[in-house]
Amino acid sequence: MLDTPTTDFAPPTAAAIAAAVKSGQSSAVRVVEAALARIRERDPLLNSFTAVTEQRALLRAQAIDATRARGEPLGPLAGVPFAVKNLIDIAGLTTLAGSKINRDNPPAHRDATLIERLEAAGAILLGALNMGEYAYDFTGENIHDGPSRNPHDLNRMTGGSSGGSGAAVGGGLVPLALGSDTNGSIRVPSSLCGIFGLKPTYGALSRARSFPFVASLDHLGPFARSAYDLALAFDAMQGFDPDDPISVDRPVEPVTPLLDRGADGLRVAVASDYFKCKNGEACYAIDRVAAALGANRDIEIPQAERARAAAFVITATEGAALHLDRLRRRAGDYDPAVRDRLIAGALAPASLAVKAQKFRRWYREEVLKLFTEVDAILAPATPCTAPLIGQQMFTHGDVELPVRANLGLYTQPISFIGLPVVAVPVPLIPLPIGVQIIAAPWREDVALRLAHALEAQGVVAAMRPAV
Amino acid sequence: MKRKIARKTKPARGKPGAKISARKSAKKSAAKTTKSGTKSGAKAKPRRAPPAPTKSDPLDALVVAGTQALRLPLDPAWHGSVKFNLQLILRLGGLVDEFPLPDDAEPGPVFYA
Repeated sequence: MLDTPTTDFAPPTAAAIAAAVKSGQSSAVRVVEAALARIRERDPLLNSFTAVTEQRALLRAQAIDATRARGEPLGPLAGVPFAVKNLIDIAGLTTLAGSKINRDNPPAHRDATLIERLEAAGAILLGALNMGEYAYDFTGENIHDGPSRNPHDLNRMTGGSSGGSGAAVGGGLVPLALGSDTNGSIRVPSSLCGIFGLKPTYGALSRARSFPFVASLDHLGPFARSAYDLALAFDAMQGFDPDDPISVDRPVEPVTPLLDRGADGLRVAVASDYFKCKNGEACYAIDRVAAALGANRDIEIPQAERARAAAFVITATEGAALHLDRLRRRAGDYDPAVRDRLIAGALAPASLAVKAQKFRRWYREEVLKLFTEVDAILAPATPCTAPLIGQQMFTHGDVELPVRANLGLYTQPISFIGLPVVAVPVPLIPLPIGVQIIAAPWREDVALRLAHALEAQGVVAAMRPAV
Repeated sequence: MKRKIARKTKPARGKPGAKISARKSAKKSAAKTTKSGTKSGAKAKPRRAPPAPTKSDPLDALVVAGTQALRLPLDPAWHGSVKFNLQLILRLGGLVDEFPLPDDAEPGPVFYA
C-alpha cells in the first residue's frame, strides 16, 4: 500500500489562468514552468503522463507572451496548460493508444484537430496521458505503463479508460485535459477522480487524428476543474471538421455565454429503474444534486438494460474488427484481458451486431421523446467510489459484480445514442463520486448550465487533490 | 459459470415506453449521508477462474473452430477466458436478440444524434 501524502495545493482553473495571463498578472512562461515543476514532483506518484512536451510548451508560452507584449489580443484559453490521452495524435510523438504494439508505429505527422483548436485559443500542450490499452477499459490500469493513480488515494483506481486524464486534472497537474468516451471513459474517471467531464453529442467534437476504438460510439471530450472551464474548452473545439466522417456540419452555438442563465426554467428529472443507485455514496450524490435542482420527478429511460447490452455487443464486435489483423500478428503483445475480449468479439455472430445497431435507432427515438417532458435527466455516473487498484469485484446492492465490466453500467446506455452528458463531482470524504447530467442532442448548454448552477450552490466541486 | 444478474430483464413485448412519476425516494435517501469509507474498496476478491474447456460444450468447439477459421491464434491457456467473454457477449446479445423489431427497422452504423 502506498501512503498518500497530503497537500494544501489548490489548483487554479483554466479561466483563472487565462485571466492572469491576459492581465499580465502572470506570464504564460511562468504558468508552464510551474506546471512542469508540479509534473516532475507529483507525476511519479500519479503516473498520469506518458510523455511531457516540455520544449514545445515553453516555445508556445514564449510566443503567447510575445503576442501580449505586442498588444495583440489573446485567446480565451491564453496560457492554459493541457494534456491529451495518448490515443490523440501529437505531431512528432508516436500515438500509443495505451498499447505496446503501437510503440512500433512512426510518430504522428500532425496534431489532432482538437489540439490545433485548443492551441488556436491560446492553450499550451504539455504532453500525452496514460490510458487503458486500446481504450477497452474502465479501470485506468495499464500493464505496459502501470496504472494511473487516484489523486485522492494512490491505492485506488482513476477509472478508465482515460485514467491519466482523470489523474492529471484531479491531481492539479493541468487544469484541462482531453480524453475519449466510447462507453463511459470520460465520465467514469471524472466520477472516481472528482472532476468535471463533458462527453459531447456524438459528432459535435472532431475525432480526426485520434486512434479509434468503436467508430459507432467513439467521442472525444474535455476534463476540467469547473463547468465554466468545460464550456471554454468546448467552445474552443466545437465546429465541423471534414477530417472526421461523423462530424456534423451545423452552426456553432457558443455555450459559455449561456452559463449564467442558471437552472431557472429547466425541467429536471431523475432516471429511475435501471439507473436506481444501489450504493450509499452514489445514492447520496444523486439525491443531493436532485434536491439542489428541484428535481422531484422520476423518469424511466425505456429499455436501458437492453441498450447497455447492445452497446456491449457493438463494442465487442467493432473492437474485434479493428484489431483482427493485429491479433493475428501480435496477440502475445496485448494485455491478456483486452486480447481475450477482442478474440471473443471476433467470434460473436454478426447477426447480433446488426440487430444491436437496429435496436439503437429504436432506442434513440424512444429516449428523445423524454426530452419533450424534461430538459435534463440525472443519473449516477458510477455505481461506487474508486475501487482499489487490482480489485476484481465490487458490491452492487446485494450482488457482487466484476469491476472491469461494470464501472460503466450507468454510462453505457447514454453514450450508446450519443447524448451529451456533463459528469459533475460530488465532493465526499474520503472519496468523491460523480453524477451524470444528461441532455438532449446538441444541448450541451443545458447540461453545462445545470453543472454551473450546482457549482455556484456548492453542491458539486472539484476536490483539492490529496496528492 | 453463472454470474449473478442485478435485476430482472423486462419483457420485451408490450409497451416499453417511458414513465414519469413523482420522486419517492429523494428525501429518504438524502437523509442517509454515508460519508464513510467505501464498501467497494474493502472487498477485493481474487478473479474468478474462467471455466475450463469441456469436450461436450459446443461453445468450446466454436472457440476452437472460430479462431481457426479466422486464422486467430489461440493458446490453450487463453481458451477459458475467451470462452467466458464469448458467453458474456452471447448472454447480453440475447437481450438484444429477443427484442421485437419490425422487418424494416434500419440499423444505425453511422449515427447522427
